[in-house]
Amino acid sequence: MNKLIRNRNPYEMTYKIGLLAALLLVLILCVMHIAFGKVVISPQHILRALANVQEEEHHRQIIWQLRLPRTLIALVAGAMLGLAGAILQSITRNPLAEPGLLGVSAGSVLMIVIWITFADGLGDATRYLPLVAWTGGIGTVLFVNALSLGKGMDITRLALVGILTGSVLQSCTSLILLRHTEAVGSILLWMIGSLNGRVWVHWDMLWPWALVIIPLGLLSAGAANALQLGQSTAASLGVSVRRMRWMMLILAAVLTAGAVAAVGAIGFIGLIGPHIARRLVGQDARRLFPFSTVVTGVLLLGADVIAQAVSFELHVFGLSSQVSLPVGAVTAFMGAPFFLYLIKQKRKSH
Amino acid sequence: MKEDQSQKPLLEAQNIELRYNDKPILKELSMDILSGGVTALLGTNGSGKSTLLKTMARLLMPQKGCVYLDGHAIAKESPRSLARKMAILPQSPEVPMAITVRELVEQGRYPHVGPLRMLKKQDHAAIEEALEVTGMQAFEQRPLDSLSGGERQRAWIAMAIAQSTPVLMLDEPTTFLDVRHQLEILELVRRLNQERGTTIIVVLHDLNQAARYADRMVVLKDGRIVRDGTPDRVLTEAVLQEVFGIHATVLKDPVAGTPIFLPHSVVHREG
Repeated sequence: MNKLIRNRNPYEMTYKIGLLAALLLVLILCVMHIAFGKVVISPQHILRALANVQEEEHHRQIIWQLRLPRTLIALVAGAMLGLAGAILQSITRNPLAEPGLLGVSAGSVLMIVIWITFADGLGDATRYLPLVAWTGGIGTVLFVNALSLGKGMDITRLALVGILTGSVLQSCTSLILLRHTEAVGSILLWMIGSLNGRVWVHWDMLWPWALVIIPLGLLSAGAANALQLGQSTAASLGVSVRRMRWMMLILAAVLTAGAVAAVGAIGFIGLIGPHIARRLVGQDARRLFPFSTVVTGVLLLGADVIAQAVSFELHVFGLSSQVSLPVGAVTAFMGAPFFLYLIKQKRKSH
Repeated sequence: MKEDQSQKPLLEAQNIELRYNDKPILKELSMDILSGGVTALLGTNGSGKSTLLKTMARLLMPQKGCVYLDGHAIAKESPRSLARKMAILPQSPEVPMAITVRELVEQGRYPHVGPLRMLKKQDHAAIEEALEVTGMQAFEQRPLDSLSGGERQRAWIAMAIAQSTPVLMLDEPTTFLDVRHQLEILELVRRLNQERGTTIIVVLHDLNQAARYADRMVVLKDGRIVRDGTPDRVLTEAVLQEVFGIHATVLKDPVAGTPIFLPHSVVHREG
């Protein structure tokens, strides 16, 4: 008996149960996500509409044209942010690292905002959003890395330069916002992050990249495990520390920028998702990376269910029917207190 | 156990010069390590002993000079091929880690399989052996952050052992441990050397322990080697006074027969 317990990896069990629970949650949240909105659709109607039953034409339109793409985008964008956060937390060995840390989100948003304000009327502007976001995101990482290059690769310095660069980029976005008051609405949504009005066009520009980059991120778990033992230990294990870390930084940047291109700079989710995952399944990246991916996808979907439900309520109370809460506001509103709670808990246990 | 093979050095540092922020740390330093012994690097804080160890493990690159392993310049080797020949355990990384002991020890196989094959659970005899020799088998599924300092240190050493290298370097492996755990680590190191023939280079603070467990003591001062030899020849009252700045009496350990010192007072230098 004792031996049985001794010989079982304590994280392994939580990992398996956790994955199952997360998948179940995905299913439930998908139904809720599709159900809620300005028109509430009951589960039977959802099933019938998905089965393309004739008399459900109205619901069928809403589900197929509006809700389903939004559901998928929420899941995948969340997953990308979660994986990016997990990668960054591993290689920086800092549990507070998140996709916004290196200024990636800010860089992507700035480029997007420049693009939509100045390249408006180019017709197919949306199609190029991922490329635009990547230019911003990767450009920022290169810049931050170049600035923080010194002796070795000092992670604290990297984070510090990243945060500063991020705030400079963010104020650039704010400047544009002040100059182009007519675009305030859409610029703000990019800055906060929102899933409103996300349809198949957006999904089409998200999934091909996700399909390539998420597996690459998951495959980096082997190197991440060595890297998170610290620079010297990783080097003594034969890891080309600089090159690996650099590759993983780029991976995280590409994941973040890809998500930002679809949904804007949604905060906190890429910090909290991996955090929850680490508490449940430990730090071995072979579990942590896939679990963070799934958990954060679930979190963003859940947050958007709330965003939609709240928007709906506001409508009922006779406020403007245009009011719809951006999901980024929900993640910030719920994420920050939740994070404080986690930190407080951690204090207690030590 | 000493110098049992050819007299050609296994590891050779030649005219190493290393500066950090223009401050010279190692000055024209040369040292040979023969196969099969336990060499202790000693010296006061800032003498360069840790730097020398890191340089020999290629964690630091000297501005001048070269380190050879088996006659090949380590600077020219690929990281992974070098990591199959020597392992270094840096000064204990005190980060709480939520991974199990076994998962940590698994990492020792990295240089043998590479990043992609590390995605699979590693199941190698070297892992079992490393767990066994360090006495960590009973702890293999325990999270690292639930262990005591001594147990954790043994887990880290097990990782380095699983790397299956002929050379093992340890940077102050006994720091922060209580005396029993210090002895445990040193006995383990000695056993690795005797039973497996692993060549060991270890940075230590405690001179008595070094005299007890090492075959050779190398004393550094201001980036130069000032004494090098067997414990009997190195741990003397003169060395303690000149290098370490203390007046002391050196006795013979009644049990082990190795020299042991009792400190009396600090040497007060004039001017």
